[in-house]
Amino acid sequence: MIPWFNRIPAQRSLLSALVPAVFLLALSCFLSLLYGAGSIGPFEALQVLFNQGSSEAYFVVTELRLPRTLVGLFVGLSLGVAGALMQAVARNPLAEPGLLGVSAGSTFAVALALVMGASAATLTVSIAQIGALVGCFCVITAARMQGQNRDPIRLVLAGAALSSLLVALTSLLLLYDQRAADEIRFWVTGSVAGRGLDQLTAVLPSMFIAVMGTVYVARPLSSLALGEKVAIGLGHNPGRIRLIVIVCVALLVGAAVAVAGPVAFVGLVVPFAARALIGPDIRRTLWLCLPIGPMVVINADTLSRLIAQPAEMPLGVLTAIVGAPVLLAIVRARRLPTL
Amino acid sequence: MITMKTHKVEETSSAASLEGHSALTFGAQNSLLIEHRAVRRNILLLLMLAAVSIAFLGMGSLIMSPWHVLEALFGQGSELNQFIIKSLRMERLLAAIFTGAAFSLAGCLMQTLARNRLATPGIIGIDNAAMAFAVSSIVSTGVSMAPSGMALVGAATATALAFGLSGGSGTRGYRFIVAGIGIGAIAGSITQLMLSQVNVDTANAAYPWTVGSLNARATDMVYLLGAGLLLSLIACLALSRRFALLPFSDQVITGLGEQIKKIRVAALSISVLLTGLAVAVAGPVGLVALVGPELARAMSGYRGIPLIGSALAGAFIMVLADLVGRTLLSPIELPVGIVTSIVGAPYLIWILVRRSPRN
Repeated sequence: MIPWFNRIPAQRSLLSALVPAVFLLALSCFLSLLYGAGSIGPFEALQVLFNQGSSEAYFVVTELRLPRTLVGLFVGLSLGVAGALMQAVARNPLAEPGLLGVSAGSTFAVALALVMGASAATLTVSIAQIGALVGCFCVITAARMQGQNRDPIRLVLAGAALSSLLVALTSLLLLYDQRAADEIRFWVTGSVAGRGLDQLTAVLPSMFIAVMGTVYVARPLSSLALGEKVAIGLGHNPGRIRLIVIVCVALLVGAAVAVAGPVAFVGLVVPFAARALIGPDIRRTLWLCLPIGPMVVINADTLSRLIAQPAEMPLGVLTAIVGAPVLLAIVRARRLPTL
Repeated sequence: MITMKTHKVEETSSAASLEGHSALTFGAQNSLLIEHRAVRRNILLLLMLAAVSIAFLGMGSLIMSPWHVLEALFGQGSELNQFIIKSLRMERLLAAIFTGAAFSLAGCLMQTLARNRLATPGIIGIDNAAMAFAVSSIVSTGVSMAPSGMALVGAATATALAFGLSGGSGTRGYRFIVAGIGIGAIAGSITQLMLSQVNVDTANAAYPWTVGSLNARATDMVYLLGAGLLLSLIACLALSRRFALLPFSDQVITGLGEQIKKIRVAALSISVLLTGLAVAVAGPVGLVALVGPELARAMSGYRGIPLIGSALAGAFIMVLADLVGRTLLSPIELPVGIVTSIVGAPYLIWILVRRSPRN
């Protein structure tokens, strides 16, 4: 019997990785409820969880920390799955919604809506999703225009350029409108603080649709990994698979951006970790992304509360600091892995 | 004692290939080969720069005709015009010319060094790192180090990191660039972090500068940048023959009796110096470094490295971009970094998605 850690990832059984991951996720959620920037320490929070403790502690845990943890859960889930889908369809381990300008498209759409007179409170999720869809199409078109001998890194550069263009256009809009600039300033770094459950319920329907789409597309997508001709030979339609994936990614990223703002690098780190654990098959990777995505976001959020006490660090800053070294690690590998 | 004389190159054997060149000699040992066409194109660029500069000085809340601008520049015309031009608009024009030239020259050197036209200081994160260090010196109350110095340190740090992290592959290929993108992302988020920690007034004051603007420039930094630019241009001219070897392979350079490492270190140091100083003045306006050398190359059709042409083209682009930013949506002023991003980013995407990439 070979020990678990000595087997090559593709031989491990899905459950042997999934069960510990889910357990760790539960632990992360628990810690996120216990620790915070305020005066309510872990012991008092623990009392609340056993239906005791002061009313102040009760309020902090149930009204402030719990919604935040739930929002982190859904944002992490969306971004992790979106990253895995995007990497599979671009066949590029560096494809990440934040790096490729999808989040920037979303942000631009939101800024546009704010300037046109919407308010951050009443903003509909669909606006962010439409922006994400446009960004997605731009990037996938760029990836396909490169043709056969494409270089994974060129796509990232094109995405960075698209991002910088969209960020510049967003700043342009915000210069026009001081009110919109004030509303958006703390939103653009990405954070799950102060988000309510009503915002979460607004994005749930579209997330449900995206998850259904993902379930439908997982099998065809894994055959697409073997090449277009193989996928066609197995009876799938590559163009349609891509379209469905793009729509799913746009729905997921748009939902996450609408709730938490652009949180960079989660879509890069999560599939990277999942692949390292159980191999490159997209069906297995997607399963593992479900617990790992929220785990990354929730832990980053907990850390962001603890590092800069009594103030808070924006979540997007922390994920960038964690994620950029992973980007470097992928690029530094002697041979760039292709998907 | 430097004696300067120009004469036609008189080597009969290679007369055909050297036609249209002159040699500029300093003393007995040193000479510089000058291509006439490149000189003509650089003069053309200089004229374009002069034209756009006069327009720059004339536009504003008080619009002056080019004639009045020239009058005021030569000490004629009304007191008011002279005051506006010499005291108010001139400094901004100088800042635009210096930063544009510095970014573009740095970009040209870096592109030549990495043999990759995408390897400009902005893309590989040097701008962002310089900005992060400079912002840290602005927001920290205890230590008030000059932003220029800190920006230089940041630029040097980012370069060292990019080289170190790209591992054995050196500056070749895209690995170097993506290492730089990662460093740039970290530096950018650290800047965001610092700005979110200080009070709102400081953050608001620093914001336009972080997207790249000539509005928040400090006079001292502009003159410091001017001095650095002058020194760098002299160094570039003195080393131009050696820099011209950079596109060749290592064996060829060694075979010609030059030390590769020294040439590389020189090119890289000048590039880092210029980027750091320019970021301290105008913030990260990195895409100028991509577009400036391209314009110079397209204009000159010159076989070597268009160093002077890049500096002139960068200054031209920067002045034009700031002119557009000030006048397009007036009275709102667009930061120059936004204008250059909106123009430069589509160009970068176009380079990347073309079917036949030429490095």
